[in-house]
Amino acid sequence: MMSHTSTMAVMDAESSDGSQRNQPLLDVQNLTKKFGGLVAVNDLSFQVDEGEILGFIGPNGAGKSTTFNCLTGKHKPTEGTVTFRGEEVTSKPPHEMVNKGMARTFQHFAPLYDRSVLENVALAYTSGKVFSWSGLFSLSTITGTTYDAAAEICARVGLQDDLHRMPGELPHAGLIRLELGRALATDPKLMLVDEVFAGLASGEVEEISNLLLELHAEGMTLIVIDHNMSGLFELIDRAIVINFGEMIAKGTPEEIKNDPEVQKAYLGGEEL
Amino acid sequence: MATQSAEDGSAGTIQLLRQNIPPRYYVGFVAFLVLAALPLGLSTVKILTMTAALYFAMFVVSWDFVSGYTGQVSFGHTLFFGVGGYTAALLNLEFGLSPVLTVIAGVLLTTVAGLMVGFPALRLHGHYLALITLLPPLVLIRFFSLYRSTFGGETGLPNPDNLIEVQGDFAATALVNYYLGLVVFAAIFLIAFVITRSDHGITYTAIQENEDAVSSVGINPAKFKLFAFVMSAALAGFAGAMFVHTPIGSASPSQLLELTVMIEILIAAILGGVGTISGAAVGAVFIYLARDYIRGIDTVVPILDMPVTRMDTFLFYVLMLGMLFFLPGGLLPKLTVFGRKIHARVTGGSPKAVTDGGYQQPAFVRQIEAYRTRILEALAALLRRDSK
Ligand SMILES: Nc1ncnc2c1ncn2[C@@H]1O[C@H](COP(=O)(O)OP(=O)(O)O)[C@@H](O)[C@H]1O
Ligand SMILES: [Mg+2]
Repeated sequence: MMSHTSTMAVMDAESSDGSQRNQPLLDVQNLTKKFGGLVAVNDLSFQVDEGEILGFIGPNGAGKSTTFNCLTGKHKPTEGTVTFRGEEVTSKPPHEMVNKGMARTFQHFAPLYDRSVLENVALAYTSGKVFSWSGLFSLSTITGTTYDAAAEICARVGLQDDLHRMPGELPHAGLIRLELGRALATDPKLMLVDEVFAGLASGEVEEISNLLLELHAEGMTLIVIDHNMSGLFELIDRAIVINFGEMIAKGTPEEIKNDPEVQKAYLGGEEL
Repeated sequence: MATQSAEDGSAGTIQLLRQNIPPRYYVGFVAFLVLAALPLGLSTVKILTMTAALYFAMFVVSWDFVSGYTGQVSFGHTLFFGVGGYTAALLNLEFGLSPVLTVIAGVLLTTVAGLMVGFPALRLHGHYLALITLLPPLVLIRFFSLYRSTFGGETGLPNPDNLIEVQGDFAATALVNYYLGLVVFAAIFLIAFVITRSDHGITYTAIQENEDAVSSVGINPAKFKLFAFVMSAALAGFAGAMFVHTPIGSASPSQLLELTVMIEILIAAILGGVGTISGAAVGAVFIYLARDYIRGIDTVVPILDMPVTRMDTFLFYVLMLGMLFFLPGGLLPKLTVFGRKIHARVTGGSPKAVTDGGYQQPAFVRQIEAYRTRILEALAALLRRDSK
C-alpha cells in the first residue's frame, strides 16, 4: 500500500538508534504446530538477523511451509512465540504481518486469475482502507500512478513483457516471478520465499537466484525454503534443516552438507 | 473524484477521463434518458409497472454489489428489503411517522441486520453461506404470520402513505412517484457503480478470486467483506423502505420476502451479468417486464389447452431456465464484448481491442459455465450411446 514507504522509514530510524541494535530481526521460540494428531512443526527455535539470507531446508512434508504459515499468521501456532522487529507478533493476522514488513510467496501459487499480471501487482497499491475517499471513489482503473509503480516491480522480477497477460497464460517460472513481484510490491523488510526453485530449468534458477541476491544487496532479509540444497548453495549465508517438524542441523552450507543427521534424513531420498 | 490529479502533477486526470470514457457509458446515459422520457407515452398502469421494475432493479443491484463482487453469495437478501419495508410501513401506519423519517429508520435497522448477518458470514463460504443466508427471511415470514395482527401475516400490511401524494389525482401521484423512484434508482446505481469501480471494487473481486492474495499485500479481506455486506444491506433496506411508500409497493411477503422474489433476483443478476452492477440493472428491468408481459398474454397455449394467464409462472421459469442455460455469462458482458468488436471494426482499432480485453467472468459465473459444459457433455455422451 501507498503508505508503506513512509512508515517503513520511521521504523528504520527507530531500529537504528542503538537500543535495539543486537536484536535479531526475527526471533522464533519453541514454535509448535499440530494438525489434530499430526505434529507438523515441533518445538522449533531460530533467529534471523537483519541482512541475512537464511536457507530453510528439509524433505517434502518436513513442515517448512507450515512454519511459514505460522510466521505469517495464516495459521495460529499451537505453541511458541514469534517476535518480529522487537515486537511480539504471534498469531497476528496475515495482512498485519505484511504491513509490519513481512511478505511471503506461496508454494502453491495464489495469483488472481481474473486480472492481468500488472493488475495483480497493482493490488498492493490500492488504498487498503475501507473508509477513505480514494478507496471508495478513486478512479483506480484509469489513473496511471499506481500502474507505473506496479510496472516497475514487474520489470524487476522479469515480467516486463508479460504485463498484460493473464496469470493463466504464464509458464511456471512466470507464476513464480509473479509471486515474488506481489511480495516485493509491499516493500517488505523480510521476505519468506517458499520453494521458488522447484520445477525450474537451470537458467531460470540462476535468474531467480540473481534477483534474490540483488534484493539482498539492497538490504532485504530473506528466508528461502527449498527441499534440497543444491540450488541454494550460492545464495545463502547459513541454513537450518528440519525433518518431521524438528530441527536436525544448522550452520554454513558446508557444515550442513557434512552433517550425518542431514545425510541420514536424505538417505535413499532426494539428492542433497 | 479527481483526487489523484494533484499527485499526477499534470492535468492528466481530466484528460484521462475524457479519453477513457468507454462508449458503453454513453449507452447507459441514453438508457437513463429513455427511462426519464418513458412516462410520456405510457398509461398509468404501465407507469406503476415501470416503477415496480425500477425498485426491483435496485434490489438486484444491491445483491450484485456484495454477491457479484466479493463472491459472498447471499440467498437471503430479501431479509433486507423486508426489514427496510416493514419498518417503514409499520412506523407510518402505527405511529403516523412521516415517510421521510420511516425511510431513515428503515435504513438504520437494515444496517443493523446487515451487521448481524455479515459478521457470521465472514466465517462461512460457498454453499454453506448460501444455505445459511437462505433462512432468515423465511424465519421472518413465519414470525410475521405468527403475529399477524401486528405484521399482517401472509397478506402483508395495508398500504402506508405515499412519499409524495398529489391530492385527488392518482395518475399524477403515480407519475411523481415514478420519477422519485428513478432518482432513488439513479442514486443507488451510482453509489454501487462508483464504489465497485474504485479500489473497493478491485479489492472485492480479488477477495472472490483468492483471499490469500489479498491479505498477502497487506489488505484485510474481512473488513472489506463486512463493509460490502453492510453497504449492500443498507442499499437494499433503503430501496425496500422507499418502495412501500409508493402506490405500487406495500409491505407484504410476496413483494419483499418470499423465496420467489429472491429467485427472480438471482435470475435477473445472472442473466444481466453477475459482478457488473449495470448488468444487474438491465437484467432486472428485462426480467420484470418479461414477467409482466407473459402474465398479460391472453391466448390459450395450443397443445396444453390452457390459457397463458394460468401458467404464466410456469412459462416464466421455463423461459428463464432456457436463457440461463444458453446465456450463463449474462447479457451485458456478451453485449459489451460484441460492442467492442463493432467499435474496433468501425474505428479500425487494434486487433488487441477486439479480444475481450482480458475480461474474465467472475468465479461464480465460471462455475455456472462449468456446470453447463458438464451437462452438455453428459447429454452428448448420452446421445452417442443411444445412437449406437
Ligand atoms: N492445513 C493443513 N491441515 C492438515 N495437515 C497439514 C496442513 N498443512 C500441512 N499439513 C501437514 O503438515 C506436514 C508438513 O507440511 P508442509 O509444511 O507443507 O511441508 P513442507 O512444506 O516442508 O513440504 C505434512 O504432513 C502436511 O500433510
Ligand atoms: Mg512446502
